Amino acid sequence: MSPILKLFTFPISLIIILVGINTILGGHITPGGGFQGGAMIAGGIIFCIIVYGLKESPIKITHNFMGAIESAGALGYVFLGLSGLVFSGFFMYNLGTNIYHIVPPFIQNLYNYPDALHAGIIPYLNFVVGLKVLVGLSAVVIAFLESDKYLGDEEQNDNLFGEDEK
Amino acid sequence: MIVYLGPLVIGFILGFILGTRIKPVPESKLKFDKEVYAVVVIVGILIAYWQQPFPYYQDIPLASGFLAGIVGIILGKLTFGR
Repeated sequence: MSPILKLFTFPISLIIILVGINTILGGHITPGGGFQGGAMIAGGIIFCIIVYGLKESPIKITHNFMGAIESAGALGYVFLGLSGLVFSGFFMYNLGTNIYHIVPPFIQNLYNYPDALHAGIIPYLNFVVGLKVLVGLSAVVIAFLESDKYLGDEEQNDNLFGEDEK
Repeated sequence: MIVYLGPLVIGFILGFILGTRIKPVPESKLKFDKEVYAVVVIVGILIAYWQQPFPYYQDIPLASGFLAGIVGIILGKLTFGR
């Protein structure tokens, strides 16, 4: 890649990541949300990885990080769903808004998102979905780029394709 | 002026998580020092100002979640991204 591209990519990818964060934050009242924002953040990360390469990228996404964030996102989603089931009897019931007045007020306050609209658990769902998507889409590109080290070794390829049987 | 806590906290957490992943690369010839972050902060403040109070349209005239994301990225970089 050209030096000019290498000079500009990192700050621009940070701005793309910030726009992705903003998209996640407005997901409950504007177009966008967890998936779209997470995909934008993953776009910033992938931009960096493709321009600098996996080894020299300033944004390092390790396997442990991917596992931790993906698990946290999935567990957060399940936790919010099961909270509704436990407190109201309905899976994924929006405890923060409490439209049917099923849960006591202190539970409603606990799950209420502090903003102008009081959207309940929807922004939290956007947040956890965003975490899952940003890691999931980055993982696809990282897996493809890491596949080089398995393709380079000819001996390994011969063994993989069963040279003894030829 | 009303400042809502929700976008500030979640924007900060997301930025912090991603900021911790920005690591120095000894093999690379390019060094991204504080000048890069200064550019990101200036451009970020401009974008936040142009967006106005996104997404609530009635609080401070800046996209507060966007600014919280910038602070989160820089603090994440300073704490765990070394």
